[in-house]
Amino acid sequence: MSGTLTFRPSLLPRGFARQTVLTLLLLVFLLFLAFPIYYMVITSLKTPSEAYRVPPTLWPQNIQFNAFPYMLEAWGYWRTLFNTVVVAGVSAFISTVLGGLAAYAITRLTFKGRTLLYSLFVATIAIPGMVTVGPIFLAYKDLKLIDTHIGLVLVFVAETLPIALLTLFSYFKAIPRELDEAASIDGSSIVGTFFRIILPIALPGFSVTFLLIFIAVWNDFLFAFILTASPDVRLLTVRLFEVPSPGDINRIPYDLIAAGGVLILLPLVPILLRIQKQLVEGILAGAVKE
Amino acid sequence: MDISASGGVRSARERFFRLPTLALVAYALVLPAIALRAAFVIGPMFQSIFLSFTNKNLTNEGRFVGIQNYVRMLSDETLINSFGFTLGYTAAATILETVLGLLIAMLLMQVTRFKWLTNTLMLLPWVMAPLLAATVWKILYLEDGGILNELLRTFGLIEGPVRWLSSPDLARISVIVTSVWKNLPWVALIFMAGLAAIPGELQEAARVDGANPLQRFWYVTLPQLRPSIYLVLMFRGMGEVQTFEQIAGLTQGGPGTATTTLAVYAYQRFFTETRYGYGSAIAVLLLLLTAAIGGYFAWRLYKANR
Repeated sequence: MSGTLTFRPSLLPRGFARQTVLTLLLLVFLLFLAFPIYYMVITSLKTPSEAYRVPPTLWPQNIQFNAFPYMLEAWGYWRTLFNTVVVAGVSAFISTVLGGLAAYAITRLTFKGRTLLYSLFVATIAIPGMVTVGPIFLAYKDLKLIDTHIGLVLVFVAETLPIALLTLFSYFKAIPRELDEAASIDGSSIVGTFFRIILPIALPGFSVTFLLIFIAVWNDFLFAFILTASPDVRLLTVRLFEVPSPGDINRIPYDLIAAGGVLILLPLVPILLRIQKQLVEGILAGAVKE
Repeated sequence: MDISASGGVRSARERFFRLPTLALVAYALVLPAIALRAAFVIGPMFQSIFLSFTNKNLTNEGRFVGIQNYVRMLSDETLINSFGFTLGYTAAATILETVLGLLIAMLLMQVTRFKWLTNTLMLLPWVMAPLLAATVWKILYLEDGGILNELLRTFGLIEGPVRWLSSPDLARISVIVTSVWKNLPWVALIFMAGLAAIPGELQEAARVDGANPLQRFWYVTLPQLRPSIYLVLMFRGMGEVQTFEQIAGLTQGGPGTATTTLAVYAYQRFFTETRYGYGSAIAVLLLLLTAAIGGYFAWRLYKANR
């Protein structure tokens, strides 16, 4: 543990048992993280009667996938998935572009009120969604924007702009200003510099920002729930509230709910596995200490 | 936040960057973001504040009633309870996440085995919607025939079923546990980055001076980590105080009103009962709390960074 310059503080003295104790603690932590998800997945594979069995089982006795086709049908899953991908994708794209332009101006250009604008913008993070959703709902009722994807996209872009601004801000700050100076001396315009210098270097930052916002919209409940009503328009996460209970209406259909959960989580898993490192980098960039 | 470069290029560049057209370009670049934020966040916030001074509801356009809604809060027992619960919930969840997150970050920096598995498992709760996290835990918390009770019974820790969600006190704890599970990974990631940024020489120097691990933690690690700690307290504090989705998924505010947070209560008044005036007043109270938490820790963070 000594010899490296990385700081690895520890509360345990060095000794024979240390690594064992630490590994055990790590395993406990991993179990704590994994177990709820594991149990959701196996519950979705149980038969309806096994999902209720007392005592419950840690491994399904008869693995079956019936809950999935049922939920695909009941939710109109593919339609909802398409809605969600489009709304999240369009919102993330617009938010990333607009946030990127603003972050570029704030990190690169000197103009009056720059610091003030930035501070004000960041300060609006402290405005809870519950404070803004009411007036937005009332305005949308008048404007006939309730239950529309355009209405959702507008709100989501506005809500996620701080993610875009903060994340891209720290990516842009990491690009040396000498590069833009060289470009501007070579006669490149502001816009030209942005597209020729900043954009290519910060491209990984842009894609991570896009994904962070995509995930945030995918997971939103408050706005997506309040501003939509019909199953044809609604997005995935909200539909967790719309799991049908076939048969006995007093029995909560845990196998179906679990299958719904898996159907919401599953499309995001490839993103996690493929660009784990970049996501973590992006998460840290968005938490810039300003 | 001074980002002007030094050296000979400076004056030429500064002149170039101060051209009036350039300022116009800059404003044009910032404008769309500002406009959207103004229209969909700042504007509605002022509307909420305005509504909170009226008695508008679904059928009544409403009129100005002064601070009547705020006066009514003082005698609204549900509001007082939910205010107290929101404060307690926020404090408990934020402190637990911060303390456990720091310990886990230190643990993860010590044990370098299972790196890929650890990263994947950390990102899973992070990537899940709060409502989905609540749903997952609701399945675990099932009282008769739920897996959590079954495991505890198997290990001989309990006799009868634990009322995770139907006993008021336990329900309060259960929703906190769910939030900690969901947010712990993010906190641990932030602290790992913070720890990695501390120069190793300090630790070495303290060791040479004969400081034991606990002393090194207290006198070296913690002070160096102050910015990360305030950052985590700021973001998590603001996040927890607004808790809505977890409650919607787990308890819907119950049993009774035991787990009704201010956000849930504002939702119930505004949307379920369509009492826009009073609902907005509760939302404004939430706004003040969030701004106070965010503002306080932003200020501490600013001071710690200097």
